[in-house]
Amino acid sequence: MSSLSDTELIPTPPPSENSANSVAGIDQALGDFSYDVKYALDAGTGLTEKTVDYISAVKKEAPWLREFRMNALKAFFAKPLPTHWATRDLENINFDKIRYYLASGQKPKRTWDEVPEDIKRTFERLGVPEQERKYLAGVEAQFDSEAAYSNIREVVSKQGVIFLNSTAALREHPDIFRKWFGKVIPTGDNKFSALNSAVFSGGSFIYVPPGVKVSHPLQAYFRINAENFGQFERTLIICDEGSEVTYMEGCTAPKFSTSTLHSAVVELVALKGAKIQYITVQNWAPNVYNLVTKRGLALEEAVIKWIDCNIGSHLTMKYPGAVLKGRKARGEVLSIALANDGQHQDTGAKMVHAADETTSNIIAKSISVGQGRSTYRGLVHIPRHLRGCRSNTECDALLINTNSRTDTYPAITVRGDLNSVQHEASVSKVSEEMIFYMQSRGLTEGQAMSLAVNGFVNDLVRQFPMEYSVELKRLIDLEMEGSVG
Amino acid sequence: MSQLEIKALHVNLAEREIVKGITLTVKPGEVHAIMGPNGTGKSTLAKAIAGHPDYTITSGEVLLDGRSLLEMEPDERARAGLFLAFQYPNEVPGVTIANFLRAAMQARLAEGEELDATGYYKQLYAKMDSLKIDHKFTSRSVNTGFSGGEKKRCEILQMAMLAPKFALMDETDSGLDIDALRIVSDGVNTLRSSTLGILLITHYQRLLNYIVPDFVHVMYDGRIVRSGDKDLALELEAKGYSWVKKEIVHA
Amino acid sequence: MSSLPASNSPSTGSFTQDVFVRSLASLSHLPGWWLDLKNKAWNEYQALPMPRRTDELWRNASIQNLRLDGFVLPERAGPLLLPGSSPAFKAAAGLAFANNRLQATTPLPPDLKRKGVIFETIEHAAVEHGELLRRHFLAQPVKLGSEKFTALHTALMTAGALLYVPPGVELAEPIVITHVVEGPGAAIFPHTLVIAGENAKVTVAEFFLSADPAAGNFSSGVNDLHAEPGSQLTYLSAQNWGRGSLSFQTNSTVVQRDARVLSLNVHLGGRQSRHESHSRLQGPGAHSEMLALTVAQDAQEFDQRTLQSHLAPHTSSNLLYKNALLDTAKTIFSGLIIVDPDAQKTDAYQSNRNLLLSSEAEANSLPGLEIQANDVRCTHGATSGHIDDEQMFYLEARGIPRQTAKELLVFGFLEEVLEKLENEELHSALREMIKNKFKR
Repeated sequence: MSSLSDTELIPTPPPSENSANSVAGIDQALGDFSYDVKYALDAGTGLTEKTVDYISAVKKEAPWLREFRMNALKAFFAKPLPTHWATRDLENINFDKIRYYLASGQKPKRTWDEVPEDIKRTFERLGVPEQERKYLAGVEAQFDSEAAYSNIREVVSKQGVIFLNSTAALREHPDIFRKWFGKVIPTGDNKFSALNSAVFSGGSFIYVPPGVKVSHPLQAYFRINAENFGQFERTLIICDEGSEVTYMEGCTAPKFSTSTLHSAVVELVALKGAKIQYITVQNWAPNVYNLVTKRGLALEEAVIKWIDCNIGSHLTMKYPGAVLKGRKARGEVLSIALANDGQHQDTGAKMVHAADETTSNIIAKSISVGQGRSTYRGLVHIPRHLRGCRSNTECDALLINTNSRTDTYPAITVRGDLNSVQHEASVSKVSEEMIFYMQSRGLTEGQAMSLAVNGFVNDLVRQFPMEYSVELKRLIDLEMEGSVG
Repeated sequence: MSQLEIKALHVNLAEREIVKGITLTVKPGEVHAIMGPNGTGKSTLAKAIAGHPDYTITSGEVLLDGRSLLEMEPDERARAGLFLAFQYPNEVPGVTIANFLRAAMQARLAEGEELDATGYYKQLYAKMDSLKIDHKFTSRSVNTGFSGGEKKRCEILQMAMLAPKFALMDETDSGLDIDALRIVSDGVNTLRSSTLGILLITHYQRLLNYIVPDFVHVMYDGRIVRSGDKDLALELEAKGYSWVKKEIVHA
Repeated sequence: MSSLPASNSPSTGSFTQDVFVRSLASLSHLPGWWLDLKNKAWNEYQALPMPRRTDELWRNASIQNLRLDGFVLPERAGPLLLPGSSPAFKAAAGLAFANNRLQATTPLPPDLKRKGVIFETIEHAAVEHGELLRRHFLAQPVKLGSEKFTALHTALMTAGALLYVPPGVELAEPIVITHVVEGPGAAIFPHTLVIAGENAKVTVAEFFLSADPAAGNFSSGVNDLHAEPGSQLTYLSAQNWGRGSLSFQTNSTVVQRDARVLSLNVHLGGRQSRHESHSRLQGPGAHSEMLALTVAQDAQEFDQRTLQSHLAPHTSSNLLYKNALLDTAKTIFSGLIIVDPDAQKTDAYQSNRNLLLSSEAEANSLPGLEIQANDVRCTHGATSGHIDDEQMFYLEARGIPRQTAKELLVFGFLEEVLEKLENEELHSALREMIKNKFKR
């Protein structure tokens, strides 16, 4: 297996004019990282062909991949921001001020004393281990957990599972990964998938051989692989016929980003009878634009299941989807979003039915606290000549304060009289009667509210692996603090 | 000395006076029943004492162990030892009975003190056994999808766990068939003790066959118009509420 | 008038400067403010672009078929223009327009006149009731995508009705307005303005028809409903344009404190029909009931866009749009509920039900919510499905032929909306129109 680091080669970096990250209108202090300039591995700020050349050279990529990146760059420049349907907040991203690649030797430097108090307090309350806190806060360059990682890798590699980062995977197993790379989410799918395709780095590439059922969830957060938390990670999971895997991404602790823009692309391919479950817990720092494209392709009788939980970031736009291409394929999205002051969680799901008897199920719950705004966008598409397709969507929004906001924008197209689609959405608040009932049992109003909110998302949280669901509940409690009274 | 004192209490709901001067003292170990026709302010009295935000107390006083309850939030009143068994218990979707009660018990501990989980479950299961409630009950969401009888049993279980000094039981018999009524009454009788005062609110005498009160008060148009012992309930049952009305007119 | 100039720009189509100038010249007897309004609207029409693919307000619509070529402002219609499907029932008063001109009048009974009810053509009202008209005419514009076509309407509109019901006056029988269009490519611009004064009660029924069921007509209509505090306004419209027609209809409904408006729109005809409806709940206790029924056949496209604006606390609205789709027909429902930060205690519901009856029909649903107050009850639902096989079997098992059974079940589906109409005669008139459509 190759090393996770891909920094053997040191080409000349393109000129850098400004090393500070800056996004208009956002609290700059939060992203205030300084960089040690003596590292030569610096792609600088801004995005040109040179940046892409640089990344491709560092990674010693094959010519086809370099060309793939260059085409993507063109698509990125050509595409307008999708502000005809999305928030104009996107216009506040200054693409020239962003650092598109940081080699692993070069990480931001700051001391523990510079970490904001509220973040330290949150680590404390969540019980994040000391060592991890420093990594999360961006104080420490890397969290060394190679041991844990190799252990998992060893176990699964015995089953023939390939689990590598994007660079290594495309270099060592082009035969397996190139076939599907960029096929589920074409480069030009949207402006941000194009951006990712041009500058991606890190992420996980996984191949599960036919019939193999990976018993342990594969995890890709800092405890395993530092680079997975990169800005532009790229993930591709291929489950061969009859195989199964669960993949977990992120963690509940707030993550300090070295950049204000995070734009990942995640592609899943479930071949006949395969089952992929992809779990995300997103808790980026409140200055991050998190613009992610996630889509799975399900062949005959295959299942793609996204469990997606968004708590952090300034703006998240993410609509995990499934293209149900084989008969009886199934797509599922379970989504939880919590939007607090200054946050906009613009999340949802896309289900494209492309074969008979395919089914999809979307359950989305959002909570808006303070001036937070949560938005659900959904797409369900059943084209003509299909039969026996069913789709169900339920989305419920909970508004905590008088100035909280929620939007729901589903789009459903159904053709033909042999399919059925249902969509239901509701907006409510926690009823005063329920709060009184709990208060009359001795709980404070705040405790009662937290309990009610946890109850609201409980049926979804239960579907998360144990350690996540416990942390999630604690996190929701933390977020709810100070929202009443 | 521990007691619940209601002094000349007047209560408004949406600008309209419902309770028009009630004075009543409940001592530990006593069971008081308040009876009366619908709409005379029985439930209003219970909810106002528990601190429901819809009700405004315009004058009077409610003291628990000499401390005024009226300035307290509903949860403070509960932690001070008051328990309201609801006529229509609210559903709390997604929150299991076990977690709910655990949070309520935790709220009664001093800051920094952690509830002992093992001890808690031991206690919970013991109470459930004594009330003949299946242990599986704990993993169901509070009152969600419960039958009328299950809701009331859930109320009694909470009462058993939270061990209040005074319980206000609002129409505990409503929505119960005779079997369920018997089970719930058995539960309440199990909890009767020399340290617990109970104010039992009911429309029908039948509940009092199972929970025998020490005192019976008849409420009409926001006032207590007669007080007596358990025989008063029987007299009322025999003569009907119209008898009370006539009495009022004559008075 | 019959030959079209070759230099039509795609954005004005047949409706050239020349057409406008001639139309305006015939209106010289009308007040200056009225003519100014028209000039302004004409400039707007020319300046506004045609809908574009990226316009969210036109999502899913076949915008390539919105061409404005081949239409004419028609000459006076022939003397006999009473299509067979014209409704027959008791009305308090009526106005019938054909080809943009008044054709027939059933005057108000004297007692209603005495009570101050005004029911006039819009041009007459511009002269006689200028102040009233000025205050309410397009006072609360609808901005759901058809602004260009509404501007065209305002510039070229000559036929329309003003109904004013003074405070406290109740009309037992409905007011009926009919617009008929005759001739190939004939274009009409119907306008209706209803003002229900405080605590007034009135029902208005409007019918839009092509003389030739196969005609390719054009219509851009506007109806504005204004319900003053405590009033009850029921509005019903049914369109059965010729099968080649292109039509736009925009509705603005303003509901003040404790007023209640029920509107029911039945869509049957046309090649491509777009309906936009905006209810503004402006005072506490206001309620708007928004209903629609569509039967889509052949390659018909029905495009419905709605907005429920809750601008005051304690307001409620309830929307139910049902579409039955046959053949290769297509429907679009796009609705939005907006709850303002101040509109606490809002109770809003929105529901779109599509019944697909063929393998080629296409139903699009875009139900939306934008909620900025927390103490609200807002829900929406959208379903697209087919006839329940079990139900079908049950009917067939009773000896009912398949086709009849299907029709019965479709009627059952539509009945839920129809039965909200209290007026029995209107109810059966509508049912008759729908039945006729199935007979074809």
